[in-house]
Amino acid sequence: MAKPKVAFYWCASCGGCEEAVVDLKEDILKVTDAVDIVFWPVALDFKKKDVEALGDGEIAVSFINGAVRTEEQEEMVKLLRTKSGLVVAFGSCAHIGGIPGLGNFWTKDTIFQRVYKEVPSVENPEGTIPEEKTTVDVGELTLPEFYDTVKTLDQTIPVDYYLPGCAPPPDLIMNAVNAILTGELPEKGAVLAPDKSLCDTCPRNETKPEKLSIKEIKRPHEIKLDPEKCFLEQGIICLGLATRSGCGERCIKANMPCRGCFGPVDGVIDQGAKALSAIVSLLGLEGEEKMTEEDVEKLVNGIVDPAGTFYRFSLPSLLRRRIE
Amino acid sequence: MRKITIDPITRLEGHGKIEIFLNDEGNCERAYLQIPELRGFEKFSEGRPAEEMPRITPRICGVCPTAHHMASTKALDDLWKVEPTSAAKKIRELMYNAFMAEDHTLHFFFLGGPDFVVGPQAPAAERNILGVIGKVGLEVAGKVIEHRKRLRSVIETIGGKVIHPVCGLPGGVSKPVTEDEKKVFIETAEYAVDFSKFALEIFDNIVLKNKEYVDLILGDVYKHRTYYMGLVDENNKVNFYDGQLRVVDPDGKEFAKFKAQEYLDHIRERVEPWSYM
Repeated sequence: MAKPKVAFYWCASCGGCEEAVVDLKEDILKVTDAVDIVFWPVALDFKKKDVEALGDGEIAVSFINGAVRTEEQEEMVKLLRTKSGLVVAFGSCAHIGGIPGLGNFWTKDTIFQRVYKEVPSVENPEGTIPEEKTTVDVGELTLPEFYDTVKTLDQTIPVDYYLPGCAPPPDLIMNAVNAILTGELPEKGAVLAPDKSLCDTCPRNETKPEKLSIKEIKRPHEIKLDPEKCFLEQGIICLGLATRSGCGERCIKANMPCRGCFGPVDGVIDQGAKALSAIVSLLGLEGEEKMTEEDVEKLVNGIVDPAGTFYRFSLPSLLRRRIE
Repeated sequence: MRKITIDPITRLEGHGKIEIFLNDEGNCERAYLQIPELRGFEKFSEGRPAEEMPRITPRICGVCPTAHHMASTKALDDLWKVEPTSAAKKIRELMYNAFMAEDHTLHFFFLGGPDFVVGPQAPAAERNILGVIGKVGLEVAGKVIEHRKRLRSVIETIGGKVIHPVCGLPGGVSKPVTEDEKKVFIETAEYAVDFSKFALEIFDNIVLKNKEYVDLILGDVYKHRTYYMGLVDENNKVNFYDGQLRVVDPDGKEFAKFKAQEYLDHIRERVEPWSYM
């Protein structure tokens, strides 16, 4: 029997999801024994034309990482969708937008203005900006359109499964691969990670008081971080209460708070709003009645950059996609 | 004019396309490396708290996130005008050197190396890590995997996540190293040195002892005379974590040497209409 064909592709991403596959370590040899990888730009020399030459649905599964930021990325994921039985949104960017999704605070023009004209190291007296078509003396060069808005993968093509994380951890990747190879898959649309909040599995859960009250917001560099105590209890913003578990609590174990890369648990669409409402409701909970409006304002203002913090990884997945 | 298009470029991190225009004799008249993507870190980092940058900039590249994490962290030291404690500096340097070693192994066996190890004439479908495993054998492949696994575990122990570490703070790191971890780190370093000698032997046997490859490497076709820039210590010896930036010309002569803070006096970016980067 022919081995199932598998493709890996990247859109607006960093290559970390590719490394996550290589980080399967010995297991990567089991994967390459069990499947034929037909496209994987980071590691193999197959080209776009090789994908185009495949029949519709011929690829058993495409693992696609990265958000969709350009016309080329949109074309490639549509091509892979046609050629694939299953599409898995791999990693935070494909799942919920990820770090490149922070681009949605701005427009194409404001991004170009900064990148090509204002950055202090740029020398550009002519005010050149990249164009979709450039005529040079030997011919014509083209670039894909840079969209105004960053989209998640499922805002662009239908997605069958989601593997969360920046980057997804090896155990979840292997579970997903095994599930696909054995056909023992959950319902379409499932996120292939536990449906629990990070707080539920956090090693510091025991030090989280039953009634949490934040007296003052602290930034991670402002205090000596207690390696045992719940971050919220220390006044440090941690997104564990609005974030899905399954990451292995890797940041927490390094004594740093969660920033939400796994996205929300099932049933929550807006991770940022969930985190915001959960954390704000803990502010000054004790002695709230004695606080003046000024006290409240001071306390809330302790959260610097709320939008960029609560939506650190999930800005494109917002219901109202654009902040106007 | 006839044109050869390579799309996408492969076996490196990032997107790229190469357009080669050929003249009437079929030789290369002009070639363009185009980067067809941009994410815009320069803009969307605006408004974010400075201390969060070591958790944002690693996403510039997930193959070398430790480099971006460390650059941001060192920028925070400078911003807050704090000198990291000696222990913090050593922890950072250890993590960074572990990264340099595992990343070079990735380059040699997975990314650039297949051209040499499998050979320049090998079919495209074999010019990759799987072809390398075919050539050097499963036992060697196992060693490569073990070496990267151990080194990457050093980064993970210190930085939390090996893909996108989180430990950097102005003036320090978020957690200390325990005695038990230290023991494992020392064993790992010894293993890594042995492995590196072994990898050099492989390079010697497969590449340098093959006249065809050596002619290709030393010949004109792939020769590119260029300047080089790197961090050096006070004796001009390479130092990956700290020191001054030194630029040498194609003959190896010093062209410039400066502190990272003075980069604007020496470095400029140019914008081309046919590439996003």
